[in-house]
Amino acid sequence: MAAKDSPLKQFEIDPISNIELGGYNISFTNSSFAMLITVLVITLFLTLTVNTRSIIPSRLQLISELMYNFIAQLLSDTVGDNGKRYFPFVFSLFMFVLIGNMVGMIPYQFTFTSHIIVTFALAAVVFIGVTILGFINHGIKFFTFFYIPGVPFYMHPLLIPIEVISYLSRPISLSVRLFANMLAGHTLLKVFAGFVVSMPFFTGVFPLAFIVALTGLEILIAFLQAYVFAILTCLYINDAYHLH
Amino acid sequence: MPQLNPEFFVSQLFWLAVFFTFLFVFLWRVSLPRIASVLEKRQNKIDESLSSAKELRQQAMEIEKKINDQINKAKLETDEKIKETINSLQENVSSQLSSLDKDLEKKVSDAEKEILKSKEDQMKNINNEIANITKLTVGKITDMELTDNELSKVIETQKGTFN
Repeated sequence: MAAKDSPLKQFEIDPISNIELGGYNISFTNSSFAMLITVLVITLFLTLTVNTRSIIPSRLQLISELMYNFIAQLLSDTVGDNGKRYFPFVFSLFMFVLIGNMVGMIPYQFTFTSHIIVTFALAAVVFIGVTILGFINHGIKFFTFFYIPGVPFYMHPLLIPIEVISYLSRPISLSVRLFANMLAGHTLLKVFAGFVVSMPFFTGVFPLAFIVALTGLEILIAFLQAYVFAILTCLYINDAYHLH
Repeated sequence: MPQLNPEFFVSQLFWLAVFFTFLFVFLWRVSLPRIASVLEKRQNKIDESLSSAKELRQQAMEIEKKINDQINKAKLETDEKIKETINSLQENVSSQLSSLDKDLEKKVSDAEKEILKSKEDQMKNINNEIANITKLTVGKITDMELTDNELSKVIETQKGTFN
């Protein structure tokens, strides 16, 4: 376990109430609490701001509409008309990661996207879903996805394993990207926060200023990673429709 | 690193499944249809306004065309009227001028006749006067009584030399 003042202590999970189901520990933890807050923020925001359904939107309604259009545009750009069916899923994924990251930016608040098990579960859902979708759309022909046309035949023994590995590593790259970004960012913030306290006299102001700047960067990364997660999901869905 | 501690893996997965499923279903069934309906409503309104604007523009163009037609028609009519008026005025003027000419000619010829007549009268008078003056003058100078016949004979013979 991390020491008391370790920068990694912020990632520790503390059970709020201990629950056990069928021999499994499913305690409601600070991570679950962060998820709860995230889901509440998203559902309440998207419901209340659009409650009046005005033709001329209020500013908050406009934010909801912009997010809707942002993801709708993303899907139609990458997948095309086929993508409309997956809009609720991609939108939920984007909002969940985005607001999860943002909730994590609140001081003393837990960041569930900094846990590999969470991001991996999300990526696995995408990966399994897309693979099933590929088989539904193309049947056994889906395996030709690993066969790159227009390449000299003697290259195939090399290229097909590479393609298979790259396909199988998708959930890992997808989840580790998000997890590592969040982990690194929050660790860095904590390290500099430690400097603020430990540096003598007023020199702690310098790391403090750095923290302020870094917070801005982290907010950008929080958005960017949610965007990357969503756009990669869209690209994978597109691959399930259009083989090479 | 707390992330690699499997103690809470099941708990994390369980609550993730619960919350993400709830979020997905809620957004799918409640939030997104609402936003979509608002966007659709707005799009319909915009389309409606655009089509009515198009219609109004069409109407305006028709009205403009009518106005232009009427203006052109009015112009043509006015031109016609102006031409007619000018023509009738010219006719009038020429007829009046010709009648004036006739009048004047008649008057001139009348006047010429009168002048001629008065000239003849005057000439007659002059002859008489000449005769009288001659008679008187001859009478005074010579005590000779001249008859009118004699006098007129002399005057007739001398007439060409006076003129």
